Parts: sequence; structure tokens; C-alpha cells
Amino acid sequence: MHPLGSREKGTTILAMGNEAIVRGGLEAGIGFFTTYPGTPASEIGVEYMALRSEFPHLYVEFSINEHVAAHAAQGASWANIRAMTAMKHVGMNVAAEVLHFAGYTGVKAGFVVVIGSDPGATSSTSEQDDRWYSLHTHLPILEPATIQEAKDFTALAFELSERYNLPVIINAPSKLCHNIGSLSLGSLPATFRVKGTFERNPSRYINLFAGSVANHRAGMTSARRLADDAPSLGLNRVLSGAGRTGFISSSINYLYLMEALSILGVSDAPVMKIGMSYPLNAGEIAAFARGLERIYVVEDLEGFLEYQIKRLLYDENLRTEIVGKDIFPDYGELDVDLVTGILKDELARPLPANVQRTAALAAELTADIPPRQGAYCTGCPHRSTLYSIVKATERKVIFAGDIGCYTLSCLPPFRAFDWVTCMNCGTGIAHGIMHTNQDEEVIAYVGDSTFFHSGLPNLINAVQNGTSMVLVILDNKWVAMTGHQPSPTTARGVRGDTMKPVDLKGLLKSIGVTYVRTVSPHNIKQTIVTLHDALAAKSGVRVIIAEEECALQAERRATFSPPEYEVYYQIEPERCQKCNECYVDFGCPAIRSREAGGDFHYYIEESTCIRCGACHDLCLNSAILRTEIKRPGREAAS
Amino acid sequence: MIRYDIVICGIGGQGVISLGTILKLAAIEEGVSVMGAERRGGAQREGSVTSNIRYRGLSPGEAHDERAMATSGLIPAAGADMMIAMEPLEALRHAALLNERSVVIVNDFPLIPVSVRIGERAYPARDEIYARLRRFTPHVHVVDIDGLSKQNFNSLRQVNTVSLGLASALGALPVSEESILATVKQRFPDFETNKRAFDLGRSASGAATHGR
Ligand code: SF4
Ligand code: SF4
Repeated sequence: MHPLGSREKGTTILAMGNEAIVRGGLEAGIGFFTTYPGTPASEIGVEYMALRSEFPHLYVEFSINEHVAAHAAQGASWANIRAMTAMKHVGMNVAAEVLHFAGYTGVKAGFVVVIGSDPGATSSTSEQDDRWYSLHTHLPILEPATIQEAKDFTALAFELSERYNLPVIINAPSKLCHNIGSLSLGSLPATFRVKGTFERNPSRYINLFAGSVANHRAGMTSARRLADDAPSLGLNRVLSGAGRTGFISSSINYLYLMEALSILGVSDAPVMKIGMSYPLNAGEIAAFARGLERIYVVEDLEGFLEYQIKRLLYDENLRTEIVGKDIFPDYGELDVDLVTGILKDELARPLPANVQRTAALAAELTADIPPRQGAYCTGCPHRSTLYSIVKATERKVIFAGDIGCYTLSCLPPFRAFDWVTCMNCGTGIAHGIMHTNQDEEVIAYVGDSTFFHSGLPNLINAVQNGTSMVLVILDNKWVAMTGHQPSPTTARGVRGDTMKPVDLKGLLKSIGVTYVRTVSPHNIKQTIVTLHDALAAKSGVRVIIAEEECALQAERRATFSPPEYEVYYQIEPERCQKCNECYVDFGCPAIRSREAGGDFHYYIEESTCIRCGACHDLCLNSAILRTEIKRPGREAAS
Repeated sequence: MIRYDIVICGIGGQGVISLGTILKLAAIEEGVSVMGAERRGGAQREGSVTSNIRYRGLSPGEAHDERAMATSGLIPAAGADMMIAMEPLEALRHAALLNERSVVIVNDFPLIPVSVRIGERAYPARDEIYARLRRFTPHVHVVDIDGLSKQNFNSLRQVNTVSLGLASALGALPVSEESILATVKQRFPDFETNKRAFDLGRSASGAATHGR
């Protein structure tokens, strides 16, 4: 049984913030879930998918992008089934069009939008603060701080959504999504609503001319009604205290603030914890501010709470000083140490001696540590493709990369990226550059899932406009970076289950791509030859499909159906010229260096080698040997 | 009040996350509250990975105090009671979490980062790393956990359980040995082997090199 599906109310389980959100949905009777996977929100979809066997009424979809996912959830809500869609913060840019209308149309059954935010951009290309959208979408935002709140707020969000006729947003930063700890379970509904009923509602659903104006107004009216009721919802709380200096915070920043205050020995300051950061209730904020001379607002990024609070207090004729982004950074991610460091100066409190001592030592002793950035997994087909691209072009091209595991090619040893912004920025921007009479060729590369997310319009546009470009589609059959959700090209699950993949070649043909080649990336020589050929062809869009399953998935598959032959690769020290191709330029982590008698030699760590064969193919000195042994007992077993 | 913070650090693929999960599940088993965020890259390997384990609970008769119990997912500077480092350089990378009383367990098995592999940076001498760690805290235990696992079990699969044995012997964890073993039993196959690995870790704690 899945622990998130437990019917034992009151038991405590170990859960991740994302899993707590999943449970909150179940406790609210969710029936429909869609997502385009994106860190830090990816596990939500994975868990709902896993729960389907126990909750067969659940519809769960890994959609092609966030716009599609949000529309689908809106449809389910209109058909009176409680629905959730989850995305990472930048997914909101893709879903924004849908969600701007969702306030106009209202909901039928509860509609919850989960946004995994990423202050500090630890797994993203931007750190935008999606809360600002609500100033014009008017969608309420709940900001849980703890794993428990992640569940409780999610369940409540469905109720609020129905009561106020608006989709409700749960904003969870990565440090909550990936916080793992105790979660006390509530009860599940005795039955789940299984059958939808779509009821027509033309005045809200048909947004035209005066109708859309009326609906704009209706959405804002709903939000105002919620603001009026905010103090009675129990989402915002005050820890009363003494003194004329108070604090307001939300989300995990509330916990950072509380820890910082306790480190600084401040034990009685008034603190307001905001659970619903939009809409705010002016009276509730004013009641806290009254009598205080100064309030520190502690939050990530550009100061969404601070902006609203200043405005509301101005209208309330209160002149309490509000200090936020003038002392806290409006970029990057806050943590306890940052908040402590800033407040110690503001409150004129000393840091405890042990903290001072450690800080001094750390400054002296840890500054020169070599960085450890991620690298491709052992046997990753992207490493092979990127190695071939770098070799074939000698870097004399414009590199138009994109978002996925292969974004790692920004880093050494490949450094084959000239820009990275949003999804499908590679082909999109390259197309513009190539129509400015460039001398250089461009090589764009994009993964299968990113390509299908929003790359098709770019490609059709490039084909129609005669753009000169080599596009390599890194088809590894999975949305690998977010934990291996299926992509449109997934044909087989790791346990042998079959799916209906898109015919990528047929698709390319039908949109007018005449040059299409397929390569096996670990076949390095073939890949380099094909790249040379594509570059030499000079005009139009030339597509190379680098087709090889993600190594992690291939490895998993092999545990379920082991291959008939066991293959080994070894470096023959007598033949190895230490040319460094495999160790540095290619950089497979299984290829290591060992000191021996004042000298060193390269070897393959057998326990981590995945037997992809790429090193064997790329070694120009034939120093990497391949041995094949038939697995004993295979016939008997099968 | 029960307060005990452990940071586990290492590299993607070393089992940092599953080690953290065992230590957290042991708290659930024991009725102690636990939380702690994970820092991990994408699905890829080779990057730095950390797991924070923050135990909280009330002593018998103690009243709940919201201010004192507020606990974020990340251990603040100088806040770690214990560090389990699966790699020497990663121990030093996170040394700002240590204080004079912190117990540090380091797996004496360096893994070379890409920046060193391509010759842009140098990997500090191991003795130098350990000497620096000892400036933060005298309680540094250097153990070749990979070696122990390989010698005794002919695989790296027992590294995590050996580490658990070391941690339970060297730290004042608020979760008992029994609770840890109970979760190991639930989560890992072949309990017999894991129990041996755990005991190996416990006995290795006495032999851990203080002087290296
Ligand atoms: S590519 Fe071949 S010759 Fe070069 S270092 Fe590797 S094994 Fe040795
Ligand atoms: S075959 Fe070579 S390149 Fe492939 S995983 Fe093994 S050592 Fe690495």
C-alpha cells in the first residue's frame, strides 16, 4: 500500500513537501491531476501516478506543456471534479494565458494550481517570483511553511476555491517541496466523486466584449470577498510579544526568521505569519501594525508582501515604518544565516560566540575548495552526442542549446552553449540570428520532451522561412531530468510495458524537413561523420535524431530483463598513450586514474561502467578493449 | 527539548538521500518529530548532494513552544551536531555547519571532481583536509568506509549501513539503534548482511583514526 493513500487518520508518516501536497489533494477528494514535470514540483505527478492503482478514479496526466495541463484541469473543474495542476515557477509563464482567464470564468469544483518556486534558481534558469501574477490574475495564494501546512493548506485550498469561485494557488519553494519529515495524516473522504457533469455557464465561460469586462469585475469581486473573510480563515497568525518592533513573514522564510530570532536571543518580538499572501486584509494587517514603530518583512525575491503591506497601511493612515527589500536582498534565496546576519546589525545583537568562531574558520579554511558541479551520468548518451558535436565542429559554430539534462554542456569539459533562457530558446533565437547574414553555422540541440513542449512552432517557422540550421534532437525517450516521466517518444516502460510513441521522423517529414538522419550516439565515429555531412549540406533545416535511451532508464530496464551477453571494457595500459581523450575531453566518470610506482595509468572502474561502448569507439589508439561473455544459465532461466 | 541536527554530504549516486531517509524513518518509528531539506542536482550524477536531518521533540512534561520549535529545512551555520561525509572534500565544503562539539565522520575515499580532472583546480592533500576539519572540531573520525564495505562484503552496497553503525556509535542520536535497525529491515533487502555491516560500523568506531 502507498503510505500517502493510508486511511489511518492521525498516523504520522515520513513525507516530502510535495508528497504532503499530494495527500492534501486526496483528503480533499481530488479526481483529476495534470502536470508538465518541472523541478521542484515533479514528485507530485509521480506520486499521483503511483496512487492510481489504489485510487482508480484518479485521472493523472503528464501533459505536453503547462498550458495544456492547466486547460485540462480547468475543464475537469468545470465538469465538477476537483482538479489540480502542478508546475515549476517558469511553467506559470506558459500557463499564464489559461490562468488569467480562470479568474474570469470562475470554477465549478475546486481547482488548485501548485507552483514549485525556486528562489536561488538551484534547478532552474530563472528565479522569478510568480506571486506577482496574482496582482492581475487575482488568484489567491497560499504559502505553506512546513510539511504539515503543505498538506493542510492544499486540502483547504480546494474548499476556498469552491467557496470563492476562484482557482487557488499553492506556492511552495524548493526547500519546502524537498523538505522531508513528519506528516500527520487527516482523513480521506469515504467516497470520491467519479463522474463529471459539465454544466453550461455561458455568462462566465464565454468571454467576449462586454461579457469579458463583466467577468473581469466578477473575478475581482470574488477576490475582495475573500480578502474580507481572510481574518476568519486561520491562515494568518500572530505570535504576540512585547516591544515596538515587529516582523511579518510567510512561507519557509517564517521559519528562517524564527530561527534567526532565537539565535540572536530575541524571544518576545511580535510576529505575524502570513499563510495567504494574496489577497491581504487591510484591517488584519493594520491591527498588527498599530502600536508598532517598525515592521521587518522577511520574504524571498522582490518583496510582494512588502509592496502590498505598504499600500494597505497607507490607506489605513498608519505610518509604521516597513523595512523589507532595503535591507534583505531582492534576488537569490534567503536562509537562516542570511536573515541572522542582516538582523544582527538592525537589532544590534551580537552573534553567538560559536557562530562567530565557525564563520572566521570557514572564511580561512574553505575558500579554495574546488567546485563540484554535476556531470552527465556514466553512460549518458548526451555525453556522447556532445562530445561528437564538439569534435565535429571544433567549436567553430554557434551553439544553440536548450533546457534539459544536456544543459550541463554549459559546464566543462564541453562548454558548448552560447545561451540558455527559456524552453526552446535554442532553435527560437538561432532562427533569428541566422537571418542576419551570419558567417558561422549554428548547431541547435534539444531533448525530445523540451522539443514537444513548445519547439514544434519554432521548427515549422524555421522550415517555412528557409533558416539554415543543424538541429540535433537528443531523443532519450524520457523526461529524464525531472525523474523519468514519459515523453511523447517513450515507447516502452522499464518493466516492458508499451506506450504509443509519436512518429518523430514522420512528423519531421510532414512539416517539410527533407534532411533527417538518425544516429546512435555511443557510436561516436558514425555520429561525427553524420554531423560533418549535415554541416556540409549548408542550407535549410537539417535534423539529426540522436536516438538512445537515457542510461539510468536503460540500467533499470536491464535489472528487469538482463541482456544475454555480459560485456566488459578495459583499458590496456601498454596501448594507452594517455592522450586524455576519454578521461578529460569525454570525461566518463567510470574512467579513472590510478597512481602506480611514481607513474599513473587510466582504468575503467568496472562497478560503475555501464558498458555503453563510447570510449571503446572514440579511443584512437585502440587501447580500450571489449570482451563479451555469454551469461551463464540464461537459457535455463528463460 | 530534543534537538539534534545531522548533515549528510556527498556526491550524487553515493546514497546520501537514502541514508538520510533511514535516519528520518527511525524518528517516525520512535515518535520523534523530524524534518530537513535535501539539496540535489537533477537526475544527474557527480554533483554535491546534502541531506539535512533535524530531530525535534519535547522532553517529558515540557510544554510546546512555537518559537522554539520553529525549524526550517536547513541547518544554520555552526548548527550541526553531526556530519556524515561520504567524501573528504565534501566534508570541508560544508564545514561552516560545524562547531566545537560537532561529531564528524568522514569516508576516507576521495572522488575527483570535474574541475580537478580537467586540470583547472587541485584536490587538496587528504591530510590537509583532515587537519582543517580538526580546526573546527576535535571530534573528527576518518574511516575508509568504502574499503570496509569492499573488504567485508565485496561490494560498495553496504557503505550506507556501515555509516549508520558508525553514526549510532559515535553520536548522541535521539533515535535508538533498535529503531535504526528496524527501518533498515523495512527498507533494505537482506537484513542479515546489513546487520553485519551495521555492527561492523559500530566496532569500527573505536578504531576510527583520530590522528591521521
Ligand atoms: S582515449 Fe585511449 S589512449 Fe587516450 S587516454 Fe583514453 S584509453 Fe588512453
Ligand atoms: S563503456 Fe566506457 S564510456 Fe561507457 S560507461 Fe563504460 S567506461 Fe564509460
